[in-house]
Amino acid sequence: MFELICNVLLWLGLLYAYCFNVLEAPIPERTARNPYTLKPDVWPKAIIILLLICIAINIINIIRKNKNNPEFKLDALMSIRARLCIGIALVLAASFILEPLGYMPTCVLVLFFYGLLLGQTHVIRLAVFSVLVTIVLYVVFSVLLSVNLPRGTIPELRNFALYVESIVASVKSAIM
Amino acid sequence: MSTWDLFVNGFSVFLDPYTALMVVFAIVVGTIFGALPGVSATMAVALGLPFTYSMQPIPAIVFLVAVYCSSITGGSITAILFKIPGVPSSAPTTFDGYPMAQRGEAGKALGIALGSSAIGGLVSAIAMLTLSPQLTQAALSFSPADIFAITFMGLSILTCLDSKNILRTLISGLFGLLLACVGQDPMYAVQRLTFGSGELIAGLEMIPVLIGIFAVTEVLKQTKERKKLANEHDTGSVNTKMPSFKEWWGIKWLLARCSVIGTVIGILPGAGATIASFLCYSSETKLSKHPEKFGTGIIDGVAASETANNAATGGAMVPLLSLGIPGGNAAAVMMSALVLKGVQLGPLLLVNQPEYLSATFASMVVTNILMVVVAIGIAKVFAQILAVPYSYLGPIIIMLAIIGSYATNMSIADVKIMAIAGVIGLIISACHFNSAALILGLVLGVICEGNFSRAYTINRADVIGMFSRPVAGTLMVISILLLVWPIISSFFKKKEA
Repeated sequence: MFELICNVLLWLGLLYAYCFNVLEAPIPERTARNPYTLKPDVWPKAIIILLLICIAINIINIIRKNKNNPEFKLDALMSIRARLCIGIALVLAASFILEPLGYMPTCVLVLFFYGLLLGQTHVIRLAVFSVLVTIVLYVVFSVLLSVNLPRGTIPELRNFALYVESIVASVKSAIM
Repeated sequence: MSTWDLFVNGFSVFLDPYTALMVVFAIVVGTIFGALPGVSATMAVALGLPFTYSMQPIPAIVFLVAVYCSSITGGSITAILFKIPGVPSSAPTTFDGYPMAQRGEAGKALGIALGSSAIGGLVSAIAMLTLSPQLTQAALSFSPADIFAITFMGLSILTCLDSKNILRTLISGLFGLLLACVGQDPMYAVQRLTFGSGELIAGLEMIPVLIGIFAVTEVLKQTKERKKLANEHDTGSVNTKMPSFKEWWGIKWLLARCSVIGTVIGILPGAGATIASFLCYSSETKLSKHPEKFGTGIIDGVAASETANNAATGGAMVPLLSLGIPGGNAAAVMMSALVLKGVQLGPLLLVNQPEYLSATFASMVVTNILMVVVAIGIAKVFAQILAVPYSYLGPIIIMLAIIGSYATNMSIADVKIMAIAGVIGLIISACHFNSAALILGLVLGVICEGNFSRAYTINRADVIGMFSRPVAGTLMVISILLLVWPIISSFFKKKEA
């Protein structure tokens, strides 16, 4: 059932994209008048048409295959484990909190909570591991590879990130 | 200067202990950079640039070439061990390398990856020294229609990636092609399929999507199933022994084919190592006697991808040195560094500064040989991580995925794209679609559409005329046959049954 729902949603989404969203801006007049250019919407529209046909066939195949399958009910959706849903939520949340919180709090939180989700029971050990890995990754990417990791937009956290950066800079200059 | 003189002159560079030491250092740095997700070969060369500021031109060339070659190889380490392609060109390595690692054959997979990388790199280095002018002329005579036909041939693998699910694989590939359309169109920069999002105007960045679909999806799957990795509780030392001579002998023609294809693709401007590895993986799937085994963890898949992407590094150097045209982004960064050092790139290089060409050749040869030894050592260190319990390893992979996606463009939007790609990867898996086909469509989509548009305009909208050239025509006929054959054969098989 999950597969069928996904296919139907994909089909509807593609139909919507075909009708309304292939082009976000009008084609330049000169391009539109030139008969020897491939218009910007032709390629994606051709792909969408092929996709609509293939997905329609796939939907028919799924229905035909599961016609006499008693397990083919909406209940099957419930089989998606809670643990997986939390995992998805954590990954999505991490991508959204990275900008406001910055690298360090996000990294500690992700390492700690995902560790718990994966069954780690030693909470203190996990907390220490989270902090240590955060420091190691910070040193590798920010200090050694000069990747400007996000500082966060919340003033207190941003100030903390700047404070850490100033310590790193002073250590670097002392070594050099 | 004869080829032999160039050969001798090139290797004499390594009599200087300083230069020899710099190569070893460059290999270590390049392999580690390549293994880190989000640090592409281009970024590795750019990060290596500051080291060369105080160097003489020849050690600088030798250093940068070594970083470039080893970063491409380094990408295979994390691709095999954690399903995180360190560089985009290592993405096809995950298809067979990761299943091998899960079966406890990480050592063999790494051995094949490193050995075939070295072979691909050596073949392309020899091609670079001996055939530079000829190869460049041949590559430059390729029209957009020819390049379209080559990429279309890569797409013809779609029906072969999963012969039991041809329709779903086709849908996945088409979806990848559609994702490649997101952003500005390649000819007129008209925005398409962005749904009003400013973050999608530049299109979907390859690395976040790859990391999301491969690495994040895998961690999410493990979260659901908590399947123990084959060597999770090993002693920690993963044996990186090379495969047997018999196994190498069994893939000798594969290595030869992928070395040649990789070198040629590397020469083509705008193509590069990623396209080369996907094309070779796809062509080997077609040519194999057991195509159904590809993707299940066989050495052929790892060897095809790794031979091709390293052969492309030498290929990219051909137009760079003989014409001053970079074959890819990393070659463009190298070009700026070499020009800074006073290297006169172009046809006069061989006349005025032959020692630079020979130094590049010698560096590629030495790097590709030394790299096997050095990279095995680094791979062993990385492999220790497999012994870490998954409750620690999983979160680290998620964090590496986040940083790797962010580091590509310093963009939070790329992190969101990575996270969404991870969830999409999970849905793809649940719906029995094929993530490899999706990535293939995404990788080849941009180059495919761009060249089709150009060929369409050049041939004044005459589609038949586009393929009247011998190269384009032949390749298109072969591609269509390859694309349709599995569908026809399965139809006949059903009829017989």
